[in-house]
Parts: sequence; structure tokens; C-alpha cells
Amino acid sequence: MTWPAIRTILDGAVVTAMLAAVSILLSLPLGLLLALLRWRRVPVLAGALAAFVSLVRATPFITLVLFVFFILPSAGIQLDPVPAAILALTINTAAFSSEIWRAALQTFSRDQREAAAAFGLSERQIFTRIVFPQIWRANLGPLISEVTILLKCTPAVAVIGVVEITRAAGRVGAETYEPLPPFLVATLIYTALIATLVRGQRVVERRIARRYGVTR
Amino acid sequence: MAEIDAAISVKGVCKDFDGFEVLRDIDLDIAPGTTTCILGPSGSGKSTLLRCLNWLEEPSKGSVFIHGKPIGRIGTAATARPMARRELATARTSIAMVFQHFALWPHLTVLGNVVEAPVHVLRRPRREAEAEGRAILSRVGLAEKADAYPHTLSGGQKQRVAISRALAMRPKVILFDEPTSALDPEMVGEVLSVIHELAKEGLTMVIVTHEMRFARDVADTIVFMEGGCIREVAPPQAFFTDPQSERAKRFLTRH
Amino acid sequence: MSGLLAVWQSRDVFLWGAANTLLLVLGCLLLSIPLGILLAILLTESPGPLRRSLAELVDLLRCVPFLLLAYLVYYGLPELGLRLDPWWAGLASLTLYTTAYLAEIFRAAFLAVARDSIEAAHAFGLSRGLLYRRIILPQVAITAAPLIGNQVITTIRDSALLMIITVQELTFAANFVSANTFTPFAPFAAAVGLYLLMSFVIEAGVRRMERVRKVRFG
Repeated sequence: MTWPAIRTILDGAVVTAMLAAVSILLSLPLGLLLALLRWRRVPVLAGALAAFVSLVRATPFITLVLFVFFILPSAGIQLDPVPAAILALTINTAAFSSEIWRAALQTFSRDQREAAAAFGLSERQIFTRIVFPQIWRANLGPLISEVTILLKCTPAVAVIGVVEITRAAGRVGAETYEPLPPFLVATLIYTALIATLVRGQRVVERRIARRYGVTR
Repeated sequence: MAEIDAAISVKGVCKDFDGFEVLRDIDLDIAPGTTTCILGPSGSGKSTLLRCLNWLEEPSKGSVFIHGKPIGRIGTAATARPMARRELATARTSIAMVFQHFALWPHLTVLGNVVEAPVHVLRRPRREAEAEGRAILSRVGLAEKADAYPHTLSGGQKQRVAISRALAMRPKVILFDEPTSALDPEMVGEVLSVIHELAKEGLTMVIVTHEMRFARDVADTIVFMEGGCIREVAPPQAFFTDPQSERAKRFLTRH
Repeated sequence: MSGLLAVWQSRDVFLWGAANTLLLVLGCLLLSIPLGILLAILLTESPGPLRRSLAELVDLLRCVPFLLLAYLVYYGLPELGLRLDPWWAGLASLTLYTTAYLAEIFRAAFLAVARDSIEAAHAFGLSRGLLYRRIILPQVAITAAPLIGNQVITTIRDSALLMIITVQELTFAANFVSANTFTPFAPFAAAVGLYLLMSFVIEAGVRRMERVRKVRFG
């Protein structure tokens, strides 16, 4: 492969990283919000959100991408491929991460919550000062693994024309009539990115366990 | 009115869990500056009564006053309304609590646990609260553990941190819910001696406990409960040597 | 309304797509469950060097996005002299990928099997084959059921990516009908509904296994 071809794929990698970063920053807080609304058992809304989460979990990501990209214009919203991709990634990861947050909220120590209430902390303070600082640390492992799952989802957005790693590799392959080498390079980049995250996750989990004792 | 003089005044408190009566029409006045030990067989409603005092359990009927101020519900019978969450949080700041299983916040250091509520609820300046927190920790013999995390401590140390956390609120009343029940036997002593020291300082303390000898030594008043009712209220000397009720006699021969 | 009509008129396309998705996933499971069990046994029992390289391989596969694996299989096998049409290349890549994940699930479940029940089996003179067949695998099946259920749903989700190498599965069908009728909503909604149905069936199966687990293990 030539250097410009590799450059093309690396440019795609920048787009992939950007998509992943923006989507994760949007979807983790959104997932937490969904979990809080379901946990508070807001009538109707909680049920609707539960249905929404099972819908997203059952739907293949590429189907969701096509759905978002083709439906929005008929609702009068024109989105470019990149924002549409971010929207689809955010919906997907918010639904999956909301399950992590929800499990964390459900299993949070009742004793600690009571102690906080007994010392006069308000509902909001109990969440922001006692519950949240613990659940994000205890679930950093699963949350980082959501990031790797999100990264593994990103190739699907090539289908709506976002020139990320996979589509860039496809282009190179189409120009050279040799699809295998660029896809090998692309796979190498993904594997390196994901393996780094997985390793980082292990380090972080060990560090948190050492500092705060066995979490959860 | 008695409830103005009393540190804690309980009027006609009932509590049932799904139709099962745990507390039946409890009346109790606790004088300021005294130590009260609540004794009784397990399932007698001791812990539930204690948890009603700061409204962690909401009584089905009745009211509780702390230094004459109502907690949990405002007004009497017909016109009573539940306190807003914020009012309740404020009311709870004068009553600290020590839990059976410590309930320390594991993501905060020992000092962090102690100053959390003073700084964020009472809005004391952090530096001042930390200075006071360190002083309290050194009183309970944990000065050098201030920056440690709870999981590195023994059970007895954890419970002393929990007591420091309660003291840091400068509370009018401290509630102890079986403070030594979750401890290994060799650690019971260190916790009881800390509580004993506090009793001498004129704090109002209410202690649910199974430690008979300790109750005898530390209490000004023994409250004996059984079957969701208070069966006897007496000074320790009288209670332990000459209990009035049959039930108390039977309880004492078994312990 | 025109969308619904379009879906109805192209119901054959949808049925063909759904059938292909189901065939791919079932075929993949028929292959990858035994392969996953075999790999898990190798991952727990084989000698050091082999075990370590297999573990590395499984870890590596789990780091690759499925679409890329499908591309590598689809474009790579011909280089090795094996020419497969998209459907078979899709099945091969889906099986390879799922096997890696199932092996991890089975390995963890093997480790969770109570040591004493294995020792007892040795004490009663069960052969290795009997030990696996009668003692270990039934326990593994029951404890791993929820994770296997999740993996099957993931496999269904992954199978949709095969549309990109022109396998005519369910998402391919939805996209095809949508493009031909210019009514995007109904075709995709129909596909999503069918996927939801599949995942309901799997979740019901998992719940059934959960009940078995509760009855047997408390």
C-alpha cells in the first residue's frame, strides 16, 4: 500500500475517534438520565423508556443508523451523515449504558443512603455527593467497555456515507482493486484502539479496587 | 409542657409494616443530657422506635418532638401535614445517628466522612470543619487514620469513625442503633469506652443495645421494650436488681 | 399508509430476509456452540503455550469490529484459494466471531462449576467424557444461559452488518424496499418489529432457563 492510501485511512481514524468521543460524551449522561427517570418510577414515562430501551437493544445498530438517516428527512429534519451517525450512536449507547446505571442505582447501599438522610443531606446532595461519586467509579469498567462496544459499532455508519476508517479503507480498495490490504490496515487500527481501551479498563479497575476496597 | 423540657418526646407513636404492628402507642420523654438505653428481646421494636426518632421510619400514628420542635409531621392529628423533604433534612441536623453496620461512605476518607455533613449541610467553612474533625478523631484515638479510606479500617475503628461523624454535627441528640452488634468481640470494648466517655459530657444519647453490663454502667435510664410496647422505664440500679414486670424478669434471667 | 401497503406488497422480500437472518443465526449457533465449548475446554485444560496463544487469539478477535472481520473473510478467503459467495462468507465470519465470545462465556462458566461436584465425580470413577457430559456441561448450560441469550441477541444484531457484503438478510430487505418505494418509515419499522420479536423469543427462553436454575440450584 502507498503512503497516501494509508494517510486516507488514518484521516478516517480521526473521524472515527471524533464520532466515538462526541457520542460517548452525549450518551453516558443521557443514559444516566434515562436510568434516573426509570428508577424514580415516573408513571407512563418509566414504562415508555423501558420499552424504548428494549427496542434499541433488539435492533441491530446498522438498522438504527439507516432508520435515523432515512426517517428524519421525512419528518422535515435534514441531517448530514456525521450528525446522523452521532445521533444513532448516542441513542444506541444511551440505551445500553442506562442499563448499567439502572443496575447500579438499584443495588446501591440502602444503609449509606439512610445515613446520608439521617445527617440531613437533601435528596439532590445524596445523589451528587454520595451515590454518583460511587456508582461511576464502581461501574467505570462496564462503562469503558461500553466505549469499546461503541467503537466496534462505528464501522456501520460507513453505510450512510461517513468517511471513517472503514469507508476510507473501502475507498482505497475500490481505487486499487485490492480490497484486502486496506481492510487489514483498518482492522489493525481498530484492534489497536480497542485493545488499548481494554487494557486501560483493567488498570483503572485494579486502581479503584485498591483505593476504595471492593467496590459495589 | 413536658415536651418542651424533654430532649426527646414521643407521643402515641404507632408503627405497622403491612398490618403487622411493630410499635403500639409509645409514649416516652427523655431528659436532656441523659443516656437512655433501650433493651429488649429481638423483634421487640427497639430499633424501629429509634429510627422513628429521626423519621427514618415514618410512624403510622403519633408525633415526635426534639427539644419541643416537631419532626416529620407538623401540627396535631387533624391538621397535621408531612414536613417537606428540606424541612425534614434541616430537622435531622440536630439528631445524629450511629448505625449498626457503620454505613460509612466508602468513597470518602475518614476525615471526608466526618466533615461531609458539617460542610455540605451545615455550611461550615471546610477548614474549620476539618480542624474540628481532626480534633474529634484524635479524641477517639484515630488521629493518624484521618486520610485513610474506610475499607482499610477494622470494625471497631469504623464504628469510632461513625461516632466521630455524629459528633461533628454538634448534635443535641445522638442515636445509637446496636453500635456493637456487628463487631468482633475483641473490638466491642474500644467502641463502648468511647460511648462511655461521651456519656460523661452531658450529651443526650439514646442507645439500643444488647450489652447488659454496659447498659448498667452507662445509662441514666433503662427503657425495656417487648412486643412493640414499653414495659418498663427505670434507673439501671432498680431495673437490674428489682425489675417490676414479669417480662423484664424473664428477659434478665436469660441475659 | 402507502408505506404499510409497500411493506405488504413486498412481504416476500421481508420473509426472505427474516428467513435468511434466522438461518444465518441458527447455522452460526449450531457451529459456534460446540466450537465455543471445545475452545473453552482447550482454554482451561490445554498445556501452557497452546493455552496462552489461544487466549491471545480469542482476545484479539474480540477486539475486531464484526464488519471488518466479515470484510477480511469475504476478501481474504479468495486469496487463500477459497471462493465463497457472500452468504457462506457471512456465515463463516459470524461463526468465527461468535465462537470467540461464546468461548469466553463457557470458560467463565466452567470455572464457576463447583469443585466438589467434580471431585465427587472423580471419586465415583466417572471418565473424563462422562464427567463433561453428565456433570459439567449441564451445570454450565444452566449458569451460562442468560449470557448465551445475550450473545444470541448480539449475533442477530451483528448479522445485519452482512447486508454490506450483500447478504440478503432482514436489514438488506428493509433497505431494498425502502429504496424502491421511497417510503422509509414502514419498511424499517417492520424490520425493527421482527428483530424485537426475535429478541422476545430469546428472552422468554432465558427466563425459562432461569426458572430451571432456581428450581435446581435454589
